[in-house]
Amino acid sequence: MKTQWRLSPSILVMLGALAFAGVACGGGDADEPAAPATTAVPAATAAPAATAAPATDSGPLKVAIVAPSASDDLAFSQSMVDSVNALEREVELSITDGTFIVEDAAAAIRGYAEDGNDVVIAHGTQFGASLIEIAPDFPDVTFVWGTASDTQGLDNVFAYAPAADEGGYVNGSIAAALTETGVIGVVGPIEAGDAVAYINGFEAAAIAGGASEVNITYTGSFGDVALAAEAAEAHMANNADVLTGTAQMVVGAVGVAADAGVPWFGTQANQTSLAPDLVVASQVYHWEVILEEILDLRDSGVLGGQAFEINLANGGLVIEFNDAFDLPAGVREAAEAMIEDITNGTIDTTATAAPATDSGPLKVAIVAPSASDDLAFSQSMVDSVNALEREVELSITDGTFIVEDAAAAIRGYAEDGNDVVIAHGTQFGASLIEIAPDFPDVTFVWGTASDTQGLDNVFAYAPAADEGGYVNGSIAAALTETGVIGVVGPIEAGDAVAYINGFEAAAIAGGASEVNITYTGSFGDVALAAEAAEAHMANNADVLTGTAQMVVGAVGVAADAGVPWFGTQANQTSLAPDLVVASQVYHWEVILEEILDLRDSGVLGGQAFEINLANGGLVIEFNDAFDLPAGVREAAEAMIEDITNGTIDTGS
Amino acid sequence: MGDFFTLSVLVATVASAIRLATPYLLAALGETIGQRSGVLNLGVDGVMLLSAFFSYWTVLETGNLWLAVFVGLVVGLVMGLLYGVITVGLSATQGISGIGIFIFGLGLSDLLFRQLVGTPKPVRRLPKVDIPILSDIPHLGKALFHHSLLTYLAFVLVPVTTLLLSRTIFGLNIRSVGENPQAADSLGVSVERTRFMAILIGNSMAGLAGAALVLQLGIFQPNLTQGLGFIAVALVYFGAWRPIGVMGGALLYGLVNATVLQWKALGIIPVSGSDLANMAPAVLTILALIVVARRVHAPSALTKPFGRH
Repeated sequence: MKTQWRLSPSILVMLGALAFAGVACGGGDADEPAAPATTAVPAATAAPAATAAPATDSGPLKVAIVAPSASDDLAFSQSMVDSVNALEREVELSITDGTFIVEDAAAAIRGYAEDGNDVVIAHGTQFGASLIEIAPDFPDVTFVWGTASDTQGLDNVFAYAPAADEGGYVNGSIAAALTETGVIGVVGPIEAGDAVAYINGFEAAAIAGGASEVNITYTGSFGDVALAAEAAEAHMANNADVLTGTAQMVVGAVGVAADAGVPWFGTQANQTSLAPDLVVASQVYHWEVILEEILDLRDSGVLGGQAFEINLANGGLVIEFNDAFDLPAGVREAAEAMIEDITNGTIDTTATAAPATDSGPLKVAIVAPSASDDLAFSQSMVDSVNALEREVELSITDGTFIVEDAAAAIRGYAEDGNDVVIAHGTQFGASLIEIAPDFPDVTFVWGTASDTQGLDNVFAYAPAADEGGYVNGSIAAALTETGVIGVVGPIEAGDAVAYINGFEAAAIAGGASEVNITYTGSFGDVALAAEAAEAHMANNADVLTGTAQMVVGAVGVAADAGVPWFGTQANQTSLAPDLVVASQVYHWEVILEEILDLRDSGVLGGQAFEINLANGGLVIEFNDAFDLPAGVREAAEAMIEDITNGTIDTGS
Repeated sequence: MGDFFTLSVLVATVASAIRLATPYLLAALGETIGQRSGVLNLGVDGVMLLSAFFSYWTVLETGNLWLAVFVGLVVGLVMGLLYGVITVGLSATQGISGIGIFIFGLGLSDLLFRQLVGTPKPVRRLPKVDIPILSDIPHLGKALFHHSLLTYLAFVLVPVTTLLLSRTIFGLNIRSVGENPQAADSLGVSVERTRFMAILIGNSMAGLAGAALVLQLGIFQPNLTQGLGFIAVALVYFGAWRPIGVMGGALLYGLVNATVLQWKALGIIPVSGSDLANMAPAVLTILALIVVARRVHAPSALTKPFGRH
């Protein structure tokens, strides 16, 4: 006998209601009770601002928060909810939390604006793109967005961010004092935002404080508690005896730490309740410090357009110690003194870890694409490092024209403990973007390049090669009898192009009828360069120049034919002692000294440098054995003076 | 890389892999039983969330860990009842019903957590139990025989499930209604009853999985599972609907996750490569599914409601 299932409609309705109840209630909308009022909302004054003044109600300010995780997560979201509840003024607060999916958050933000909220707090960096669309539709609503440092040009958006590295630095210094194994573990979420700042500051101080290792794991999730717990386990398996972490998933890691009796440092909110005996201190975000300011601005008619930061100095960041945790004698006092130093600017926590100060020489490594004695690009750097005034221990890997070889060498030098690694080749940039972040304590110096790709521990350098090219070109014009000058270039890139453009401009201006340029397509093909020189001479060129290491072939051909040569990058007189007229020589040491001084002060990168005639990084070295016509050298030297003082602009 | 191949690190990695695998294994074994009977349950994650919350709340209120495990099991059973009514009784589309259960579980667990608990509070965790003699084996003992009872139970359930499916009449019934329900029906097997029972068992195990997860961590948070239930469903395909294969998949998934974590901790995977490494378990799952899809076939009546013609 088979069972027949019959269900009455009433049961169907009940089941449906149950399902709908679950879906509806789980969305996370919750109306919080109004924060306790200590003062009434100030009376509206006349609005001066460019944006529309807010309508003035007699009721409390309507504030809404849209947050990515639970409002009681003991982390990011809770910090904002607690802060709004701590405001002195009366507010009517609405909260939508758990909106990690950006589309959900965008709907909530827009909904709150439509519902007449005065202030909508979009508490998540990922909500920025949505705000760009939504904010202009509600010009009378103030949107407060973080963590972010700029308002995207929106008049009714305020931005906010924490200087989380400050509290990270304090926590890291205490952690260094506590660790016995010297190994500290960090459980991070996704490598972004204030998490990175906190962890960087923590790591810098911990290393400076004597920790031998700070192992960092980014789990890739803000919410995966199980993964965070396992990450903590992994750290402890690797001898970490102090832990920290950030984001709401750390509740898993704290539990594991508590079971193992390992001290924990918190951030974003006070995490003592998670492990009352083992949480040492927490960096707590007090957003109300800037919220009060924002709301005051709003009252005066300014609805947005400014960015704010909470930090130790303004009280937006507070290190809340757990009194139940017994710190060794003096540690708390040292931490409090450190807080004072950060507050008054004596300590700058934004720099990455300060280099360990060794009494030995600075360890410098060069990775260069061609031979270190190529009388050109690579040699210029080797000579410059050797010319430094300070003592260095120099390692060189040259001939790494294949980028992968260079990348391996760069990484290897960083792993070997070099303080400075010079990646001497524009083509090494992509590798550096991968490598540099792995070694935050190493200074990478990269050129030729004009920007550091946003990397904090990379300096960039480039020569204003057009300047020396211009001087050489003017002299070449004075020398040519046929009026035809030949140029042998490598690949049409970088300083080669700058040099050749400057040379051509001056040569033409100086009276040459033709400047024929050949880019051989290679930095190293000596034979091709030689053939290019032959071709130029076959076309009546009676003066030649070129750049890159392959020119040794061209110089040889020129020397055989008795044709004068102009060099660049290094002094090439030795290649043809009677025929090299002058060389624009790169003296990188001019900027290297500056870079190393910056490094000593704790700045490991982030700046670009140029060598030029004015700063002495470029020098025109004349070959006294070559007889220049009367007045040509003086004219050239006058031109150098004019370029140096800006009278002549050689930029192409 | 050399640091990884030290015994202590390897032991820790294997132990971590087994811990991570436990909730996956429990949930996937339950799902295997359900799918072998022809019922797909995409609501596993929702069931786990509800059972995890109630287990957590039980420990919070009573301090009794085993009561919490029992509660987790019961919650799974109740959710199985609900799902059985919807899919077997009402012949609703299984995929959509499962998603509905997932959303329900996600929402209700979140609501209950806020209303009854609020801020995350840590609770006692399941203690680790050393298996006598075996746990004394150098290194291997610590890796394999120093876990919670629920972890041991998960692995014991592998042969139990295998025997159930292959050696019992009930197991035969499950397989037959999953392959050819019309034929089974004509032979006197109650398709609805068999599927209903399979759903109850499967969801109970999902309930155990939720309990195992939360009691391993000692804390609850909204959306604690982070999609674990869906991975468990994928592992059933990975394991070709066989408990031993499912165990292999769960262990592999756990091992990849544990290894990635360990390598990150050791700096073998640099911070810059972290995102790529995080993809590894998911990529592995997809690759495995591609390979498996070519070689095995799902139960023929999977997702098909039974109706007499």
